[in-house]
Amino acid sequence: MTRPLLDLTDLTVTAGSGDGAKVILDRVSLRLAPREIVGVVGASGAGKTVLSRAVVNWLEPPLTRRSGEVKFEGRDIYAMGEAEMRTLRQRMSYVGANPMGSLDPTLPVGAQIVEKMRAVVPGTSRRDAEKRVIELLEAVRIPSARNRFHDYPSQFSGGMMQRALIVDALVTNPVLLVADNVTQPLDVTVAAQVIRLMKELAATFDTAILFVSSSLPVVREACSRTLVMEHGRIVEEQATEALIANPIYPYTRELVGQTPKIWNEAEVPPRPEGTREVVLSLRDASQSYKVKRRTGLGGHDLVRAVRNVTFDVHRGDSFAIVGESGCGKSTLMRLLSRLELPSAGQVLCDDQDIATLGGKALLKFRGKLQLVLQDPFGSLPPRTAIGRMLEEPLRTHGWRDRAKIRERVVRVMTEVGLPPELYEELPLGLSAGQRQRVNVARALVLEPEILIMDETLSSLDQAEQFKLLDLFQRLQREYDLTYIFISHDLAMVRKVCNRVAVMYLGEVFELAENERLFFDPGHPYTMALLSAMPTLEQRRYQPEDYLLEGEPPSPLAIPDGCSFKSRCPQAMDKCGHVNPSLTVRGAQDFAACHLVTPPVIADEVTNNFVAAAQPGA
Amino acid sequence: MSVTLATAGPAVPHRTSQSISRRIFAKAASTPGFRIGLAVFVVLALAAALYPELSGIDPTKMNVKARLLPPLLVGSNWSWAHPLGTDQIGRDMLVRSLVGLRYSFLIGIASVAVMLAIGCALGTIAGYFGGRIDAVIMRLTDAQLSIPMIILAIAVLGVSRPTIPAIILVLGVSNWPVYARIMRSIVMTERQREYVRAAKIGGATDLRIIVTLLLPLLLPPVLFTSVLDVARMMIFESTLGFLGLGVQPPTPTFGNIIADGRKYLINAWWIATMPGMFLGLTLTSINLMGASLERARNAIHGGS
Repeated sequence: MTRPLLDLTDLTVTAGSGDGAKVILDRVSLRLAPREIVGVVGASGAGKTVLSRAVVNWLEPPLTRRSGEVKFEGRDIYAMGEAEMRTLRQRMSYVGANPMGSLDPTLPVGAQIVEKMRAVVPGTSRRDAEKRVIELLEAVRIPSARNRFHDYPSQFSGGMMQRALIVDALVTNPVLLVADNVTQPLDVTVAAQVIRLMKELAATFDTAILFVSSSLPVVREACSRTLVMEHGRIVEEQATEALIANPIYPYTRELVGQTPKIWNEAEVPPRPEGTREVVLSLRDASQSYKVKRRTGLGGHDLVRAVRNVTFDVHRGDSFAIVGESGCGKSTLMRLLSRLELPSAGQVLCDDQDIATLGGKALLKFRGKLQLVLQDPFGSLPPRTAIGRMLEEPLRTHGWRDRAKIRERVVRVMTEVGLPPELYEELPLGLSAGQRQRVNVARALVLEPEILIMDETLSSLDQAEQFKLLDLFQRLQREYDLTYIFISHDLAMVRKVCNRVAVMYLGEVFELAENERLFFDPGHPYTMALLSAMPTLEQRRYQPEDYLLEGEPPSPLAIPDGCSFKSRCPQAMDKCGHVNPSLTVRGAQDFAACHLVTPPVIADEVTNNFVAAAQPGA
Repeated sequence: MSVTLATAGPAVPHRTSQSISRRIFAKAASTPGFRIGLAVFVVLALAAALYPELSGIDPTKMNVKARLLPPLLVGSNWSWAHPLGTDQIGRDMLVRSLVGLRYSFLIGIASVAVMLAIGCALGTIAGYFGGRIDAVIMRLTDAQLSIPMIILAIAVLGVSRPTIPAIILVLGVSNWPVYARIMRSIVMTERQREYVRAAKIGGATDLRIIVTLLLPLLLPPVLFTSVLDVARMMIFESTLGFLGLGVQPPTPTFGNIIADGRKYLINAWWIATMPGMFLGLTLTSINLMGASLERARNAIHGGS
C-alpha cells in the first residue's frame, strides 16, 4: 500500500481545556490516499466542521487538541512551526460552506485569489498568479473568466462564488482539498455541476478530497469511500455503495432509512378529498423591477422577476413552488404576501384583489395569511425576548388584554414544541431548529388560514426537518391550514406537497399533481431538476441525459422564445421564437413546452382549465 | 449609599422570571463601577438640589471682607464657613459651583435631548424610507454641518438675549447631524432584515415598526454614546459662558465662574479650578454608570 497522504490517529479535540471540557472529536482516526475522494457524513453537531478544520490545523480557541496526531505526508502538522505550516498551506486547502462570507466584498474576486496565492507561494510574480487564476476560473467554467476576474463578489451568483472559492483552494495546486459542506448553499443543478467539477479536478490535478457533508446522497455522488460520524466519533467506514446497501451501525441505518426517497416511497401526501374552494389565486401576475444601468449614461433596465404567473391554491392544499435561486420564487412570495404589489395582473384572496385592500381589510388579510421566513437567524429580532416577539403580532391586531395575550402565546409555544420557560429569554442560545419553531409560532399566533413557508426548512438538518414537517402536518390536520411551500428541495416537496409548480426565470414551467410531476414530468427542465437531485435511489432520469450546463440567463435580458432554450438538451428551432404557454396534459397538469401535446379528448372541463391557465394567451 | 445597596440586592436573579431590561440593570448594578458612579452622582445631585437652599448662603451676595479666601486647609486664613473658598468679591465658591452645576447639568442634558430628538427622528426617517426623503434630509444635514457651532452661537445668542432655552436650542440644533447620520446608517441596514419583513407580514405599520421594533433595538447604543455628549455640551456651555454668550452674570454657571477666575489664577487658583473639579466628578460618575450599563447590556445580549 502507498503511503497515505493524510493519516489521523486518535485525534481528540475538546472545547476548552481541563478534564470537564466538552469532547468534540473523540479518538478520530482516518486515512486518505493520494487522489482519493473520501466522504464524511453526520448530523449537524457531530463534529464534522471541527474535523475538517483540525485536518488543516485551523483550530481556534476554545477548541484545543488534547491528544492524537494529524500526519500529512508522514509528518505531524501539529508539531510544526508557524513558518513551516505556512509553506505547507500550498499543499492543503480548505473550502467552506459560506461562499458569500469568505471573500472580502470590497475587493475584486480575482485580486483576492491572486493575493492568497502570492501569500502562500512567496516569489510568485503578480502576472504569473493572474494568469494561473484566470486559467483556473476557466477550468471551473466561469464564463468569460478574464472579465469576471475583475468583478466584485456581489456580482457573482452563489454557484459562481462557490466555484471561485474552489479556484481559491486549487490555485496553489494542493494535494489535499478539504471541502466542508460545499454544496449546501447551492441549488441542486448547480450543486450537481460543482460535484462533477470536483471529481474532474481531483482527476486532472491529482488532488485528494476530504468531502464533508451533512447529506448522504450528496456524498454518494462524490465519494468512493464514506465515513459516518456521530457525536464526534467515526462510527462506520465502508465503500459508499456498500454503506448504502448494508449499513451496519444503527445511526447509519437510521441515516440511510431517513433519506427521503422520491420514487420508491409508497407513502404519498394525502390529497384533500373533493373539490374545495380556492383560497388564493394568481391571475397573470407579473412583477418587474427597475434597476440602474451600470454602464453608459444612466437609464434603467427592467428586471422581469415574475412573468404572467397564474395558478389557484385550494383550501387544505400543500402547494409547492420549486425552482432554483433567481427563478422568481421569492418575488412570488412577496406578491402573495402583499409585501409588494404586482406590476401587472392580480393576486386574489377570497375573490378580492389584495392590492386594493387597505386599513382594516388589510389587517384582516394579514391575519389570514402568514409567512414563515427562511433565515432562522436574521428573522428574529436579536434583542427582543421570545415572548415579546410572539406578542407583537397580537398587539398589532388590536389585542390589549395582557393575560389573554400571554395565554395565547404560551399555548402556541407549547403547540410548536417550545418550552414556556423561553418566554423571557433572548433567542441567543437557540438552535436553528428552535428558532424556526419561534418563527412558526410567530406566524401561528394569529391563527392564519394560509401559511407560506419560504425555504423554512432549508437551513435545518435532516432530522430537524423531519420533526418540523411532522409538526406542520399535525397543524394542518388540526387547523385545516393551507400551506404554500417555496423550496428548492424536491425530496421534501415529494414528501409533503400534493401540488407542485416548477418555476424558471419568473415563469411557471410546469404545474402538476405530485405523482405526475415526479413520475411523468412534461418539461425538460423538470427532468433536469429530477436528474440533479442527490438521492440514494436508482434515478428515473439520468444525469448524463438531462444535466444542465451553465446557469440561467440573466433576468435583465430574457431571450426571445422559450427562456429555457439556452440550457435545454431538446431545444429546437421553434423554441427560438415562440414562447410556449402552459399546455394541458391532464385534468390537473400543465407544462409549458412545445414538446407537450394536449390530449385529443377535450371535454368541457379541460377546456375550462385551459382558459383558467392561460387567460392572456 | 443607601440607594446603591437597595439596587444591588437582587443581583443574582432566577433568570427565567425576569425581563431582559431588569436583568441588564441588575447585572450593571452588581458592578463596583456602577455603584461608585451612582454614589457620586447621588451625592452631587443631592448637594446641588439641597445645599444652596439649606445653607442659606446667597450665591450672588458679595462680602468684601471675606474676598479671595482659600479652600479648606490651604494657606492661613481659610474658614469652615467657605469650604471651597471665596472669589474676588467674596462669594462662596461651594454654593456658586453647586448652582453652576445645576445650570450646566440642565443645559447639558437638555441640549443632548434636543439633539437626540432631532437627529434620531430625522435619521430614522431618512434611513427607513430612503429615496427622495433621504436625499432631502441628508442635504439638510450637510447644510447644518457646514455651519460651525461657534459662529451659529455668536449669531443667534449675540442677536437675541442668551437665555437658558436659547442656549439649549443653539447647542442642540448645532450638533444633531452626527446623530442623524448614525441613525440613518444603522436603520438602513436593519430595515432590510428579515424580522422587519416578518413584522410587516404581521400587519404592523411603518410607524409601529419604527417605534416598537427598530428604536428599542437601535437607540440604546446611541444613548450610551450620547452620555459622553452630555459632558461635551457642558464644556461647550462653559465655552459660551467664557465668551460671554452663555448664561449672564450674576447667575453662576461653570463657564462664567471660570471666565471670572482666570484673572486671579496666580493668587487665587481655586476660583477657576473648582467648577472644573465638579465638572470632572459629574462626568466621571455618569461615564462610570454608562460604561457598566453598556457592558451589562452587551453581556446579557451576548448570551451570558
